[in-house]
Amino acid sequence: MFKDSLIILRKELRRMFTDRRLLFMLVVLPLVMLPLMYSFMGKANKARMVEINSYSSRIAICSGEGGEEVKGWFLESLFTLNAHIETTGINELDSLKQRVIDKDLELLVVMPENMDEHVRDNSVFDLSIFYNSTGDYSMFAFDQVDIAFAAVAEAIIRKRIIESGMPEDVLTAFTINQQLSADETADLAEEGSAMGKLIGVMMPFFIVIYLFANSMKVGLDSVAGEKERGTLAMLLVNQVSRLSIVLGKMISVMVAAIVGAVSSAIGLRIASRYLIGMSRDSGASISDYTMGSMAILQFAIVVVPLAILISSLVLLVSTFARNVKEGQGMIMPVYIAVMVMGVTTMQTGDIPPEWMRLAPIFNSLVVLKDIFMQNAVWGNIVFSLATSLAVASVLVFITLRMFNDERVLFRI
Amino acid sequence: MLRVERLSKEFQNGRGRSKTTVKAVDNLCFQCQPGEIYGLLGPNGAGKTTTLRCLSTLIKPTSGNVFIDQFNVLEHGQIFRSRIGFLTSDMKLDGYFTPDYMMNWFGRLNKMEAGRIEQQKEKLFNDLQMTDFVNKKIDQLSTGMKQKTAVAISLIHDPEVIIFDEPTNGLDIVTSKAVTDFLVSRAESGKIVIISTHNMTIAEKLCHRFGILVDGELKEEGTLNEIIEGSTRDNLEDVFFSYILPGGSHV
Ligand SMILES: Nc1ncnc2c1ncn2[C@@H]1O[C@H](COP(=O)(O)OP(=O)(O)O)[C@@H](O)[C@H]1O
Ligand SMILES: [Mg+2]
Repeated sequence: MFKDSLIILRKELRRMFTDRRLLFMLVVLPLVMLPLMYSFMGKANKARMVEINSYSSRIAICSGEGGEEVKGWFLESLFTLNAHIETTGINELDSLKQRVIDKDLELLVVMPENMDEHVRDNSVFDLSIFYNSTGDYSMFAFDQVDIAFAAVAEAIIRKRIIESGMPEDVLTAFTINQQLSADETADLAEEGSAMGKLIGVMMPFFIVIYLFANSMKVGLDSVAGEKERGTLAMLLVNQVSRLSIVLGKMISVMVAAIVGAVSSAIGLRIASRYLIGMSRDSGASISDYTMGSMAILQFAIVVVPLAILISSLVLLVSTFARNVKEGQGMIMPVYIAVMVMGVTTMQTGDIPPEWMRLAPIFNSLVVLKDIFMQNAVWGNIVFSLATSLAVASVLVFITLRMFNDERVLFRI
Repeated sequence: MLRVERLSKEFQNGRGRSKTTVKAVDNLCFQCQPGEIYGLLGPNGAGKTTTLRCLSTLIKPTSGNVFIDQFNVLEHGQIFRSRIGFLTSDMKLDGYFTPDYMMNWFGRLNKMEAGRIEQQKEKLFNDLQMTDFVNKKIDQLSTGMKQKTAVAISLIHDPEVIIFDEPTNGLDIVTSKAVTDFLVSRAESGKIVIISTHNMTIAEKLCHRFGILVDGELKEEGTLNEIIEGSTRDNLEDVFFSYILPGGSHV
């Protein structure tokens, strides 16, 4: 009996691994998709940064009387910015505002009257900085000016403190991370685990997507397609048992699913270089994230049963559907539900809610995340394996029942 | 010998209140000897496919039974499957493989030894004039070549009973003739051949005995002479139409 399954499996596998188009979709696509996407995004990001930095912002400063000295400090603080600055009197305020609206100016700084006096009298004055959040560079200019002006504020305070006879030290209450020794870093994440976290958050999503996508590509044709073409009947009038047919087909779908999962995992690993380049606050320990052999073992223990579960789900639908098209229609809602599950796991924090650990598919995704973040617990791994296999065997059982039911196989 | 005894098949459509029962095949009786070609004739929806599916174990009769020698389809499905070759109508083989590969594959599924597969392949490829294209992908073959391939595959295990559902449907006359000639040669070598068709010209030339099936009921049964003698018409086509055309004497 298992010999028959093997004969069926061999044909399906031969098809999968010799048909270039299919091979491309099953193996190459999941492998290159993410690296391509992220390298493209990374490049675009970089180009944008270069563009922003080389852009000369147009800033207008419009000030009232009696603030020449302080205004000088402000202008000085803007020296280092790559900006084009014009200064005017307060009477032009309205036309300048209009120019910000028209995106003819990035920023408009309005300074009140008598700033010099305010500084001397230790009283507070207010600056207005108008920007346009729909302009390409306006917010960027705002941030830069904000930082530059903060320096002016500090200088004024420093001056006041010195004049009042207090020691300059009162300006600094404390510092952070300034006294680490040379061989010490503040980020105590284990070597590679920053990358692990990044990968762990994204990986389960992509793995489940490709498990599903590949199962669908192979699985829907596998039974529904054969029904549609009339070749299933040819198979059924042979000596082969229906169990062998289901098993043979099931394993081939599973292989396709696993190939997709592994390819996308490798793809994401490659892509993570670009990904790291994009996120600012990850440090240097990222470039050397490797999965140990234990992690790879755990990965297999979770992904293989998950692949079995998903391929048996697809095969069930494929068996029930009259043709590939109907099958696609039926499987789509499930596919979307699984995608939502993937996104949900992506967005849950380090400690997922209890129900996620219990629900099939979900628990595998959560455990996968743990594995990549190097804090998986064997209990959870085994539990996800058990639930996947339990659900899968129910699905296979139903599929077998359908395979023996002429009302399903020859439904019109 | 193949014998169909009071075969009936009903289908349940819909559910609940809108549930209806379709009597696709109603109390069918006929038999077929080795060396004979039996033609099941009928318009679309007459119940031909349903009958042939019952004969080939794909669906279970609601009542009645089918026998090949002493074996009946209800109890000896496995024996039936080893003795029949079945061809679905409008079958499209997976275009990715070659006829040769598919023959080997089905041969192995039929538990044939490699030597015997080679023997059968050679015989079928020759008889059906397929040798030129057995190593091309099925995708690249013409409709006729594809149908020959399907025929060859269904007979790889050299079955005693050949059951073909509309085997000449959609074929040009040359391939059509190749297929019918092939069926004649099979019958001459002692096989039982049962085909369904709605093409009276082909049926009249090919078959030894006929059953005219309309709405699941066998209206006429016998040799060409028997059928024509019992009716006012002088050819098979007219007899056939008398059952299905409005104004026909039996409508
Ligand atoms: N699986 C099925 N479920 C419900 N009705 C069916 C099924 N198969 C066939 N029928 C019905 O049975 C009748 C006979 O169909 P069929 O045997 O396919 O006719 P033919 O092959 O002569 O064209 C038709 O009315 C058809 O609708
Ligand atoms: Mg039919």
